[in-house]
Amino acid sequence: MTTGAWLCLFAPLAGTVLITLGGTRIPRAAAGWISTASVFVAFGGAVWSFFGLRAHGSQHGVVSTAWTWLEAGTFKAGLSVLVDPLSTMMMLIVSGVGGLIVLYSIGYMDGDDEERRYFAYMSLFVFSMLLLVEGGNLLILLAGWGLVGLSSYLLIGFWHEKPSAVAAAKKAFIMNAFGDATMALAFFVLIFHSRSLEFATSFATAGHLSSTAVNLVALGLLGGAAAKSAQIPLHTWLPDAMEGPTPVSALIHAATMVTAGVYLIARTHPIFEQARTVELVAAGMGALTLLVAGLVALVQTDIKRVIAYSTMSQIGYMFLGAGVGAYANGMFHLMTHAFFKALLFMAAGLIIHALAGEQDIRKMGGIGAKMPWTRWMFLVASLALVGIFPFAGFFSKDAIIAATLNIGWYGYVFFVVGLIGAFLTGLYTFRLYFIVFPGKPSAFVEEHHHDHHGLEGPWTMLVPVGVLTVLSAIGGWLQFGPYWHPLTNWLEPAARTLGVAEPTTTQEWVTSVLALALGLAGIGVAYAIYGVGRIAVPKLPAVQRALEHKLYFDEAYDAIFYKPAVALATQLYRVVEEPFVLAAGPDFGEATLDAAGVVRKLQTGMLRTYVFFLGTGMAIVAVVFLVVR
Amino acid sequence: MLGPGVVWYVGISAFLFGIGALGVLIRRNPLIVLLSLEIMLNGANLALIAFSRAAGNGAGQIFALAVMAVAASEVCVGLGLVVALHRRRLALDVDELSELRG
Repeated sequence: MTTGAWLCLFAPLAGTVLITLGGTRIPRAAAGWISTASVFVAFGGAVWSFFGLRAHGSQHGVVSTAWTWLEAGTFKAGLSVLVDPLSTMMMLIVSGVGGLIVLYSIGYMDGDDEERRYFAYMSLFVFSMLLLVEGGNLLILLAGWGLVGLSSYLLIGFWHEKPSAVAAAKKAFIMNAFGDATMALAFFVLIFHSRSLEFATSFATAGHLSSTAVNLVALGLLGGAAAKSAQIPLHTWLPDAMEGPTPVSALIHAATMVTAGVYLIARTHPIFEQARTVELVAAGMGALTLLVAGLVALVQTDIKRVIAYSTMSQIGYMFLGAGVGAYANGMFHLMTHAFFKALLFMAAGLIIHALAGEQDIRKMGGIGAKMPWTRWMFLVASLALVGIFPFAGFFSKDAIIAATLNIGWYGYVFFVVGLIGAFLTGLYTFRLYFIVFPGKPSAFVEEHHHDHHGLEGPWTMLVPVGVLTVLSAIGGWLQFGPYWHPLTNWLEPAARTLGVAEPTTTQEWVTSVLALALGLAGIGVAYAIYGVGRIAVPKLPAVQRALEHKLYFDEAYDAIFYKPAVALATQLYRVVEEPFVLAAGPDFGEATLDAAGVVRKLQTGMLRTYVFFLGTGMAIVAVVFLVVR
Repeated sequence: MLGPGVVWYVGISAFLFGIGALGVLIRRNPLIVLLSLEIMLNGANLALIAFSRAAGNGAGQIFALAVMAVAASEVCVGLGLVVALHRRRLALDVDELSELRG
């Protein structure tokens, strides 16, 4: 069982190493296949540990330690993996969906100049994420956390000749580094109190910390989770991250990276439960993000950015679920979201591929006539995203909204926000759908569309999309709130759902009906506006401008952090650098030369002088010793 | 203990050391300078062993062995330098070799 976990962890790393060492000795196509194979081997390992854990009986998880990785005084941390229900579930999602995405990349990246580098990074990304979810203690988790940040930086900036891609990569890295720092601070507090970062010890310690300390720890963890999962106020990197290749967006948004925050909350829930306020702050953060991202998605014109904001919004739901204590529901939505979000990105990638890189939805009108299969698959993903019965999102999203009902007055706020979010999801998703697919192909499409030997893309791209379509359609049936919940039962030993987050059957039904109705209403409004044009787009210039500027978050950060920093640097240059450093530099140099001029006379080059000095020195030392005695 | 006392040994050792030091100071041929260095080292070794024997403690002998090892390597390097000098047809005179003058 743990062998499977180790295999799962190290197969993608082996892929990276192989491709890197192979260099130009292996053909380009081989790099893609090595990477794909390595991730699918990892999936095999994940399946192995899943069945191993089922057969094992004890569901509380097994830690396997390879060696002591770090030791300092009484503090010890091993390179260890943890196999428990939560980590096996994440392993399956990360390596399974990740494998499909890497396979898809083979077709998408075909002909790119640096395919080998791309696939080495892809494997590295999957490895980092697996390290994060399998890590047997918080230190390994943090190592994976940082590596995920690094590999996302490498992949977002993959097209390094594009300045915007490089800027986006740096932005993502800095935002994530901020989260890493707050997490590290939280860990310092834990180490200070318990001298350990093992899960069990840390969670036990959290129970008898002062409330200040435990709140600090939880806040630090929340900072890390929010940065990685792009929750307000640390979300601005995510839309910019669309500068990377489309499969990278799919990987960041579906299988890896942004889900890490939800995983972290579920994993460290004993700490969050000791700091219930902070946990509710996480839920509030999720609620705010799902609303704001849903609104901003309404006005975006780049197909990938619409989907990116939709991801933010859906992660908001997961935070909401995990924050109120319904960890299993949050994880369930994470899983279904991985299916349909990867599918959305890949279908969008098919379109972008067929239109030679065009991403503006206003130019894509009527592409459905050229790409009927893509249209159907996109439709399935959209319905799953909106949460229409019987597609995947219906089961997972409604469960999260229903879970907010019993926790207090703020629960009702969350409930209403969740329902508004459902309406917005319907609206922005089908705005995208109705603008891009139906109708007669636009002039731009007629001119630029090219198919792939009569297919809508190479088979390496179509197969993963097909598999994910099936999963998006039926994946939700795994769990149906009122009637069967195998996933909740499976996760119970690792992350037991709080009692207050368990709605009654009636509440589940009411929520489902409301959410479904609102989702359909959103679709209806989108159809009326963008499908048949019966209603004109409402004219609200101020609101529209605010949304197009993404509610001025970037501008605000620019004014608060960037501009003062630049001003300070300019002042420092003028007041310190110029008069002191620049003016004093030559003087220092001359003084050094003068001093050296005196001492250099001692170096005569004559062996005998040196011996004489040696002897004199020894004599002096001897005399001193004798006198001192 | 048989044989002469430790003072005699130390005397000879000082004598050897003095000869060596004098050689290093006044001779100009690097080969002879090296040779004189060896004599100095052996003088020091003799003192070490003499004291070691007088004190009944083996540490001095171990030191002497270490000094021999160092001396051997030093001779290797030194002779190598002398050969290299000769190959380049440079004068074998330490006073002529003053490239390092400041």
